[in-house]
Amino acid sequence: MNSKESILSNIRKNSCADYEMPDIAVAAVRYDDSLQQFIDMTKAVGGNAHVVQVDEDINDLIRSYYPEAVNIVSNLPEVTIATGNPDVVAKPQDLDGTDVAVVRGEIGVAENGCVWIPQAVKEKAVYFIAEYLVILLSADKIVNNMHEAYDMLQFSDYGFGTFISGPSKTADIEQALVVGAQSACGVTVLILNHR
Amino acid sequence: MSTKHTKAASAFLLNKSRAQFLNQSIWYVREKRDKVAMQLAEWEELRELSSSIKCHTVTHLDTYLEQFASQAETNGVIVHWAKDANEHNKIVYDILQQHGAKKLVKSKSMLTEECHLNNYLINKGIDVVETDLGERILQLMQVAPSHIVMPAIHLKRQQVGKLFEDKLGSEPGNSDPTYLTRVARLHLRNEFMTADAGLTGANFGVAATGDVVVCTNEGNADMSTSLPPLHIVSMGIEKVIPDYRSLAVFTRLLARSATGQPSTTYTSHFRKARPGCEMHIVLVDNGRSDILANPQHWETLKCLRCGACMNTCPVYRRSGGYSYTYFIPGPIGINLGMLRSPRAYSDNVSACSLCCSCDNVCPAKINLSEQIYSWRQGLDAIHKADPMKKIISSGLKYLYGHPTLYYMGLKYAPLINRLPRNILYNRLNAWGKGRELPTFARKSFSEMWKKGIVR
Repeated sequence: MNSKESILSNIRKNSCADYEMPDIAVAAVRYDDSLQQFIDMTKAVGGNAHVVQVDEDINDLIRSYYPEAVNIVSNLPEVTIATGNPDVVAKPQDLDGTDVAVVRGEIGVAENGCVWIPQAVKEKAVYFIAEYLVILLSADKIVNNMHEAYDMLQFSDYGFGTFISGPSKTADIEQALVVGAQSACGVTVLILNHR
Repeated sequence: MSTKHTKAASAFLLNKSRAQFLNQSIWYVREKRDKVAMQLAEWEELRELSSSIKCHTVTHLDTYLEQFASQAETNGVIVHWAKDANEHNKIVYDILQQHGAKKLVKSKSMLTEECHLNNYLINKGIDVVETDLGERILQLMQVAPSHIVMPAIHLKRQQVGKLFEDKLGSEPGNSDPTYLTRVARLHLRNEFMTADAGLTGANFGVAATGDVVVCTNEGNADMSTSLPPLHIVSMGIEKVIPDYRSLAVFTRLLARSATGQPSTTYTSHFRKARPGCEMHIVLVDNGRSDILANPQHWETLKCLRCGACMNTCPVYRRSGGYSYTYFIPGPIGINLGMLRSPRAYSDNVSACSLCCSCDNVCPAKINLSEQIYSWRQGLDAIHKADPMKKIISSGLKYLYGHPTLYYMGLKYAPLINRLPRNILYNRLNAWGKGRELPTFARKSFSEMWKKGIVR
């Protein structure tokens, strides 16, 4: 008997109880103004969120947030300020030294400031290796809570996706919160198409 | 009446300021947890659901594991099964060897601690680098974690500053947490860039999709898997859950329970290997399928490893993780240690005041304190009961079985109040160690009742 069969047969032999799957219908938190809640939570977790007005240009905004950025990486056509494209790098290590990465988020979650980012670039390293991350998110994709988010979660063929809630952080030294651990030191969510 | 835990705790408490520092640091986390939990009206409903989903999954583990494995294989992931720690370590090493991997970057995994993977690999010449800041600090110090979520919670910043000065060449005397975190960031960035393989644990394995879900704040699991061409996941078999609807419940509970955050910074779903790369999942039993047969203790398999039970535990907060003899401390660790080996780890069952606070914060509603109580009942059967307590118990049994003797004792008990301290508090009175005897009333309740003074 190989290990798989042996483990499974031991499980079958040993299970001493039988519980039904519960009906998962949670009366979960909803917000009167989920956009405002999303912005507040993004700030609470150390990020920044800005509702892009009709007369504002995202490239100007990115430049104003990160005036010293030299290497700006994105594969989004509307990001004309980009100096590099993560889809054409030979290896993920080439993305080290990225100052700002601009990516698209597909779902914003009001209860915790999470943004769902299904991989849409050749190297997912771009989401984590950049010093600063800018996420473009459409206002109509903001949901109340994680139940709603998982109900509409989509993957791309790359087979990777991540919820990101603010910048990388740690409190491993004396519980002192430090932003900028191994990944992005800052996250800005630009909220588009707000009516 | 000393166990290894009480002895270690006494030693820990000798340094009063350090003991107070640990208690305060951990209590702060507990308070943050309460605050975010209370913001959700549905909090208790979520805990109940989480418990029910885990009860169902753990009692149908064979079905969900097969579904998870076959889904992962459909996604192109290579799935391995390991009966025990040795087999797990061997599988990981074989994968590394097949790829000629010399350097392995790791994100936090208590399972690999359980299996002693690091030493196994290091002895075979692999360069193993922990990448969670707390874990890296401890690895450089060559000590084990003292908490399952906040591994270096017991250390002072000056200790980290000195360590980094010696090992990473940081500025002498600088122990600012922001500065030290930056030093670690630069050091670890180089390790990520040059690693041949990345290993992560798994917070959840989703049976319906084959996703491995890993939650971190630092982004180190993602850095560990975005750069090297090989990703190995070490996953305990009890980590499998049915689907996304279940996952929504758990992601809402996990970080809130663990650190008082509404979510971890990163909740990453690994479904497929990167193009041209490989992803492996090692499903590890190592005693878990045996726990299923234990009617009183199988519910420990519901654990999410959030650490909330430690943060709330008055004994953990005042004795520190290293006072326990099992590698997982606190209420869940006491139980898991006993399941591993009652004879080896029975010293920890005394590290509980039966206040039941852990039961009330556990996001999977494990009856932790009841379980600890039941282990204590079984100590005599494995010859681990304390002889002094046995003498006291049989003495009290005799006393309560003989009413005349009992009432005589009650009548003369107030005399004890007047005895000098050195007679009362000596090594024969184990109960009086670290606590005060009560003042015995001049008239007992039963005497007053009989005389009609109270009614």
